[in-house]
Amino acid sequence: MRDLEFEIRSGGTVRIDLEKCESCESKACVKICNTPGMGEILELKDGVPSLKPTLDEVKRGACTEDLACELECELHGNKAIVITLPLPQLDEYLRDLSETPTYLRGR
Amino acid sequence: MARLFEYQGKSLFKRKGIPVPEGKFVQSLDEAMEVADELGFPLAVKAQVFGGGRGKAGGILFAEDRESLSQAVNGLLGKRFRGASVEGLLIEQKVAIRKEVYMAVTADPSTRQPVGIVSPKGGVDIEETSEREPTAVFRVSIDILRGFYYYDAMNLLRQGGGLESREMLSLANLFTSLYQVYREYDCKLAEINPLALTDRGAIAVDARVDIDDDALARQTSLHLDVAEEAGERVATLLEIAAGTIDENDHRGSVHFVQIDPDGSYAGAEGRVSIGFDCVGAGTSLTTMDELVPVGYYPINFCDSSGNPVGSKLYRITKIIMAQPQIEGYVFVSCVSSQQLDNTARGIIKAFKELYPASGGQPNIPSILVFRGAWDDVALDLFREHGISDGRWIKVLGRDTTEKEAAGIFDALYKEWKESGGLE
Repeated sequence: MRDLEFEIRSGGTVRIDLEKCESCESKACVKICNTPGMGEILELKDGVPSLKPTLDEVKRGACTEDLACELECELHGNKAIVITLPLPQLDEYLRDLSETPTYLRGR
Repeated sequence: MARLFEYQGKSLFKRKGIPVPEGKFVQSLDEAMEVADELGFPLAVKAQVFGGGRGKAGGILFAEDRESLSQAVNGLLGKRFRGASVEGLLIEQKVAIRKEVYMAVTADPSTRQPVGIVSPKGGVDIEETSEREPTAVFRVSIDILRGFYYYDAMNLLRQGGGLESREMLSLANLFTSLYQVYREYDCKLAEINPLALTDRGAIAVDARVDIDDDALARQTSLHLDVAEEAGERVATLLEIAAGTIDENDHRGSVHFVQIDPDGSYAGAEGRVSIGFDCVGAGTSLTTMDELVPVGYYPINFCDSSGNPVGSKLYRITKIIMAQPQIEGYVFVSCVSSQQLDNTARGIIKAFKELYPASGGQPNIPSILVFRGAWDDVALDLFREHGISDGRWIKVLGRDTTEKEAAGIFDALYKEWKESGGLE
């Protein structure tokens, strides 16, 4: 598996499965990332997404964490992007919770 | 503002040489007995909770022997004061008080300087004393570049009167130490009330220390959780979780406080608990004003500002939805400059993770009102991702008022309830 993985400012990671990207026709992630107001950190290199800034620059905030690449890829691409945004204190809260949150109940 | 418990405040006093009674923080009877073995009797048993009037409310008891200590510990641990449960006690040597003085260093927003305050009428609410007997409270503004010296403290103490020279000498030294606590730990308030004068000298019987939130990042030695100020209670786990969102990322901010953490107030008032998120605190208040009269109660307050990145909205939405009592979700933005398409993306990602089976369509009545920059894109995104098609969600645009939003939510909730709610 060939991945492009990078850390982001708020504490999380973006992982792009480049094998899936090879057959993607839309390259929606690169398009949305280069829309005015977005991070403009992705570019196409050898037909797959690549980072314009260095990994360190991305981690220091070049990635604007708008989440658009993941959502656009899900709609128009090959579902190749996973953004992981950990919140350990919430996990801890949910682990100790005696009641079930409503999103896990009914319907 | 991060408020410290009395025992934490006293540990800072101790570091700067301010005398405090010998004591230890305990969370069980066994631990309390160990402290008694070490310190002997008589002992003071003090509930570690925030809020004034603790003594009058029965939060401070005295123990003369092991039996009365056992009664005091069992009587206080788990007891509720102003809605907060007592999770720990400070057990310390009882002090034989001869005279009580008030002493504090706090921030004065009007002069933008620290102010030293002293009053010979210690042991009571200083605000009350200040109103009832303004001539009994003495203040001096402190120039932080110049500092606060022994003779400055002496000048102030002399104004207070009622003190012997020997007492003033030791109090002046102690006052400069209190100023050091204030400065070194980035306090908003460092207060000793009462500062007891005893046969063995002055001793801080109580401690109130409030740290400036904005300085917590550099006060790592205090090991404090960052959370929005929640009045006189300890921050909840969800508030602490929310406090971490802005910790390393200052691109916009989110503010989250649980107004009714267990939904008990809403329940007692016969109102429906809902999760709540807003862009703009003013809109938040006007929306609450419309929701409450029709039977709903936002059990949390949440506001985002400064154009936060989408990941912040994702995280805060997961926190809001984690409140198990909620039977509805309301998001309303003011006509803001916040990039609402990114706000929408954060919420969409959270909804998709929370409701994977329905592709992000919530199972509780939810309305989202986007008004402001990129609001049309926000609406399109919810449509494109198929979330707007959900039976229990309405995604609305800039032509919706707060009153209309509350009415639409009310109708949606009633339909949802009639069809069985979560059953």
